[in-house]
Amino acid sequence: MSKISPRWKLTGLLILALLLPWLPLGTSTSYFLRVITTAILYMILALGLNIVAGFTGLLDLGYVGFYGIGAYTAGLLTIHFDLSFWVILPMAALNGALWGILLGAPTLRLTGDYFAIVTFGFSELVVLVLRNELWLTRGPMGLPGISPPIVFGHPLKLAWEFYYLVVLLLMIVLLVVTRLEESRLGRAWFAIREDETAAQCCGINLIRYKIIAFAISASIGAMGGAFFARWFKFIHPDMFKFWESILILCLIVFGGMGSIAGTMLGALILIPLSEILRAILPQGMFTARYLIYGLILVLMMRWRPAGLVPFDRAQESKAARTRERLATSGGKE
Amino acid sequence: MDTILKVSSLSKVFGGLSALSDISLEVVTGKIVGIIGPNGAGKTTLFNCLTGLYYPTDGQVFFQGNPVVPELSSRKAGLVQRWSLIFIILSLAWLPLFWSFFLSRTFFKVELTLLAIFILSIRLLVVRGLKEFQLWAWSVMFVFILGDLYLAIWWLTHPTTLGSLPGTEVRLAYFAFPWVSFAVPFSIYLSWQLLLRDVRQLYGFRLGPDQINRLGMARTFQNIRLFLGLSVLDNVRIGAHGRMHQQVGSILLRTRSQRNEENEIEQETLEILRFVGLEHRTFDLSGALAYGEQRRLELARALASHPRLLLLDEPAAGMNPQESSQLMQLIRRIRDQGVTVLIIEHDMKVMMNLADNIYALDHGELIAYGTPDEIRANPRVIEAYLGRGSADAKA
Amino acid sequence: MGNLLDISSLFLQQLVNGITLGGVYALIAVGYTMVYGVIQLINFAHGEIYMLGAFLAYTQVTVLRLPFFIAFLTTLLICALIGVVLDYVAYRPLRTAPRLAALITAIGMSIFLQNLALLIWGSQIKSYPREVLPKIFYQPALSAGDVSLTWLQIFILSVTVISMLILHLIIHKTKVGMAMRAISQDKVTSSLMGIGVNRVISFTFAIGSAMGGMAGILVGLYYNAIFPTMGYIAGVKAFAAAVLGGIGSVPGAMLGGGVLGIAEVMGAGYLSSSYRDGISYAVMILVIIFKPSGLIGQVTGEKV
Repeated sequence: MSKISPRWKLTGLLILALLLPWLPLGTSTSYFLRVITTAILYMILALGLNIVAGFTGLLDLGYVGFYGIGAYTAGLLTIHFDLSFWVILPMAALNGALWGILLGAPTLRLTGDYFAIVTFGFSELVVLVLRNELWLTRGPMGLPGISPPIVFGHPLKLAWEFYYLVVLLLMIVLLVVTRLEESRLGRAWFAIREDETAAQCCGINLIRYKIIAFAISASIGAMGGAFFARWFKFIHPDMFKFWESILILCLIVFGGMGSIAGTMLGALILIPLSEILRAILPQGMFTARYLIYGLILVLMMRWRPAGLVPFDRAQESKAARTRERLATSGGKE
Repeated sequence: MDTILKVSSLSKVFGGLSALSDISLEVVTGKIVGIIGPNGAGKTTLFNCLTGLYYPTDGQVFFQGNPVVPELSSRKAGLVQRWSLIFIILSLAWLPLFWSFFLSRTFFKVELTLLAIFILSIRLLVVRGLKEFQLWAWSVMFVFILGDLYLAIWWLTHPTTLGSLPGTEVRLAYFAFPWVSFAVPFSIYLSWQLLLRDVRQLYGFRLGPDQINRLGMARTFQNIRLFLGLSVLDNVRIGAHGRMHQQVGSILLRTRSQRNEENEIEQETLEILRFVGLEHRTFDLSGALAYGEQRRLELARALASHPRLLLLDEPAAGMNPQESSQLMQLIRRIRDQGVTVLIIEHDMKVMMNLADNIYALDHGELIAYGTPDEIRANPRVIEAYLGRGSADAKA
Repeated sequence: MGNLLDISSLFLQQLVNGITLGGVYALIAVGYTMVYGVIQLINFAHGEIYMLGAFLAYTQVTVLRLPFFIAFLTTLLICALIGVVLDYVAYRPLRTAPRLAALITAIGMSIFLQNLALLIWGSQIKSYPREVLPKIFYQPALSAGDVSLTWLQIFILSVTVISMLILHLIIHKTKVGMAMRAISQDKVTSSLMGIGVNRVISFTFAIGSAMGGMAGILVGLYYNAIFPTMGYIAGVKAFAAAVLGGIGSVPGAMLGGGVLGIAEVMGAGYLSSSYRDGISYAVMILVIIFKPSGLIGQVTGEKV
């Protein structure tokens, strides 16, 4: 372990992140910031999926459905009622949680394969509804003209403004996720992931905790969607196809399913990678970048299924931190 | 001298195989009771039935005087049943009447779905009296309630959509009001009742393993089932899960009570690890522990829930004599703390020295009961282990 | 009276179309179910093999100018080969890994293949030009009033039925078939009995993929639209059919395919054509939730 305490490292990174827009990168700063904003948005989404797939061990293939629900909730509320972003954000989160519970209640009793398929079916149904219910969502014409968030009376316009907003959202999500991880709830999820039967015999009601995981994960996805809608200012059903779920899954598989640091790392590496791909691939072939993601999934499972920051590595360091804390405070007996 | 556990006529049938038949036993508080029998006798099946992993085909289990596997008779459950019946009859009588007045496409779809669900839910009444777990009952109920609520609200807010009774000015929607005014409160009432356990039992639900753990029964497993990717500390802390109270809200807000609870549990966990002799491994990954240490860790995890009754499934399996005698001492110390122990074991030395009373099983049936000496001399037991004809030879 | 005739002939026509479509779904579903039977894995990439079958036949007929029936047969062989390679490269190394890992690999392969096809053939929808196919396909073979059955439909139906019969014979009357059935019951004991488990599994993939590829060719002909994401949609539907019939059961897959095909066509005709795909998703979700063992299959429990 390095000499510098993790707390200082984190603070250092935070300061770096906050200063980022002011670094002299010339005229491409705006573009660079947009890429980083996208990466951080995906970090948020990945952290959400990590709760269900990483902590609890349930393969949710329909995560993009919640992302889409959040985006459309935010988009429609903005366009029809012109509500403030700060009101819409919790509303989208709540809507996401609601759908998480609705979807979760009947399906979370199923075994892994079936659960994956059903969640996949759900996300497909969401896209179908988004595309067909023209009276609600304008279907394939998309939803343009979503106004940006207003902060202290000033509508956000520049890349660095949105950057700070998404960093703020990331902070909130990280706070939620880290607190949950180091609590009875987080431990219950890990227990379910490791051995469901033993978890039950320890007093953990499987369905209840799975639904909670699902609901929280869905609400984080929806929050990401809300941000996306008001950042991009235009949403369309095709933005929420199944392949997005795969991308997000790829981020956490690559980074390390179940570890928060790994998830963030995965997003930080793979999203800018896709920007590089955009530059390399010929015009119109950009969709094919999913080929790389599919390949990454296959290769990771074959050679490093635990990801960059494996789950048990993360658990070990957590235990080590506890040991230090106990050693320095009251003193071990 | 209370009975902490009373089992009467417990049976478990898997398809054609009778794993347990007519098992009756009693465990007195504060004693160590053993269960022996050759492989396949049904010992682990018995444990699974007691802890709620399997639902018995017949029989009853009382833990600390309360039914764990209950008879299905509760006044509240009866009430819910009656209301459900009324509602279903009302819907079935009313729906065809409604259909005959309109066949607009949207409603056709919706009605069709609801009718299917209603018909399925009639089967729920048949579930009463069955003691099998029915997942679909739960799901159907859920969909049924939602469909109800949605339709009721829709009709309340769109009275003009359906037009009027032919030849009159009477809005068709008025016909919906009796049903709607029943549907909304009933849905809410039923959802609330479903949250309460004794009513769920009506619809085929049973006490889950987690609830049984919270009542005070903890267990270990024949094949070690630890949370291998987690640290030793976490494994034991999870054992304490049922005793803790923090919820999502208090966790997110890091309230004082949540932080206090965490600290308290942490201290208790360290105590328990000291008690079983694993404090030097507290911060290691449980997957890295030696076999004997892992068995003790499972024991520690079970102890973390402060059980009144501890079920141990072959805790001494794979241990050398020194480890087994350490284990025996540990179990005696546990008993001295006031915990009753029910133990399955093949190691006869452990069993004979530890148990106050022993039940012997063979092929799912109880073949003997008594003190260790009585069991040792019992011809049926000898026969079960060594085969027919051995009863004549000295054990 | 005339109205009644119209309604019934519409119904019959839908039924005929439904059965044809059902047959195709059955072909794909059988591939899913057989693989699940032997290795308990949902081969997500199966839909992509179907898609590749369509593309390969198309390419041979239009670019290589091969006669249709030759293209048909070679495509079957190539698809069988692709299936075997897929198993060898992606699934066999993960035979002992946890289920989640194998599932993720299957999904990864599926995405990979879809995009590979996208890169190779582009996203434009391809159709067979009329001249390259046997003319007879488009002529009606039987008609009764407004209900007609084209030769193409007869071809599809007969190919489907014949393949099902051959499959049935293979499974029940040959040694390999018996080995497949043994492995789906208990893999370890089967290998102890001397069955070359990996080889039989490869064989299963070969047969399943050949049938999937065949379905691809047939659908490419029938709807005359070939595009890289067709496997994804059809794959889900076929999986729904397999689940409906009972995953792991071959007759179940056939039954499920038939039912789903009819349900989809009827649903699209009578209820809503924009939610056509949604019907399959809904059926699948409902079946999984309420009766995961399907119409014919059995549930297996976990030993504690």
